[in-house]
Amino acid sequence: MNILHKFSAHPDTRCWYVAWNPTGTLLASCGGDRAIRIWAREGDSWECRFVLPEGHQRTIRKVAWSPCGNYLASASFDATTCIWGKKGDDFECLTVLEGHENEVKCVSWAPSGSLLATCSRDKSVWVWEVDEEDEYECVSVVNAHTQDVKHVVWHPTKELLASASYDNTVRLYKEEDDDWVCKATLEGHTATVWSLAFDSSGQRLASCSDDRTVKIWKECHPEDEQGEGRASTDPEWKCVCTLSGFHSRTVYDVAWCQQTGLLATACADDGVRVFKEDSNSDCHQTIFSLSVHIPKAHNQDVNCVAWHPKEAGLLASCSDDGEIAIWSYQSET
Amino acid sequence: MNWESGSEDPFDSIFMADNRFHCEAYREGLAEGTRQGLLEGMSHGKMHGARLSAEMSFYYGFAFAWKCLLQNNTDAKSRKRLRALEALAEHVQAFPHDDPRHASLQPDVEKARAKFRQVSVTACPGFRHSSVTGQELVP
Repeated sequence: MNILHKFSAHPDTRCWYVAWNPTGTLLASCGGDRAIRIWAREGDSWECRFVLPEGHQRTIRKVAWSPCGNYLASASFDATTCIWGKKGDDFECLTVLEGHENEVKCVSWAPSGSLLATCSRDKSVWVWEVDEEDEYECVSVVNAHTQDVKHVVWHPTKELLASASYDNTVRLYKEEDDDWVCKATLEGHTATVWSLAFDSSGQRLASCSDDRTVKIWKECHPEDEQGEGRASTDPEWKCVCTLSGFHSRTVYDVAWCQQTGLLATACADDGVRVFKEDSNSDCHQTIFSLSVHIPKAHNQDVNCVAWHPKEAGLLASCSDDGEIAIWSYQSET
Repeated sequence: MNWESGSEDPFDSIFMADNRFHCEAYREGLAEGTRQGLLEGMSHGKMHGARLSAEMSFYYGFAFAWKCLLQNNTDAKSRKRLRALEALAEHVQAFPHDDPRHASLQPDVEKARAKFRQVSVTACPGFRHSSVTGQELVP
């Protein structure tokens, strides 16, 4: 894996998260300086195209693009979530979502673009609905976790929501009678689960944790095994693979490339790793092997990894040192 | 002297006095402690029970009042908010308030609290139940 670019995105502070827009032309970053910057490739270098006006009072932990690419949501420790939209040549804050009691840790758009999920240190997950007039209304508050909720992510095609928490579990939610309810609890990690990523089909979910492992969970329909047509039962999620022994410290983020199926991780040991699924891996046994390990990808903890949505093998990472790195992965055929 | 032939050794009562008083004091102390503990537990339970009931009743009153305010609105948004308020009222009514050992007591409280938080930001924007607390940062 080659480094293409490295640039200081949030000088003298942490860069918490990076997110590609759906077409991959823009990369949004957020950090401890309460700033959101939007980067674009200009010839051979990366230039800051937009700096969003100050909308938050405290650290911005995560940013997420809407599926249409016209909106950006930001989750901040000031307990609010801002929705940004492009007006002319600039981005402006369209809505501020309030309701969480304290730090909002993550925000995620559903693939339809009509639902938004947020989670917080207040242990709750909120689901918001967006109407035609771009107004946001909370449709459900779910208190399933017993601790700080670190991450939320939507299934790539279905209206299924996953969350990861300091209570060591992953939970999955579905809508039921006007409310969102927890339908499954994935237990197995022995410490905080920091991040989650679905594969392109949505049949598998990767989770990474403070316990230095990455786990792959697979959706199993009970009728598959028993053949008694229990179609009404909710699918179970089983751990089909645990990647342990590869990371020497906390794994903060995991990203599943939608095109190549590669799995990238961001680790507190300053390293970035890419795992590749073995060709003899089948539906019953999933095998991933370490393909690339960049030990000193950054000078400090790596907080996030994000695969480019269109260009296969292009990876962005960001770190506590405030820098963003762009990598190019070539498969070793 | 009968102490030579009797089974009761008079020195026993002296030598064993320490042990006997210890046992008696323990029994008396236990009885008194139990009584006091029951009283303290009772008042503690009363306080917490009252607090919980006040919280649940507040939610019921809140749902009722906002239902009255919104019931004549026919737009889709108001209907949705009304449904959420009705759900909150149902949560409170289904609450097992007469059985403090009910298994679903805690989950039911959590459900009502979550529903209240939802309706408090949708039905009446600007209403805040609890203030934002500035505690330590956890990433």
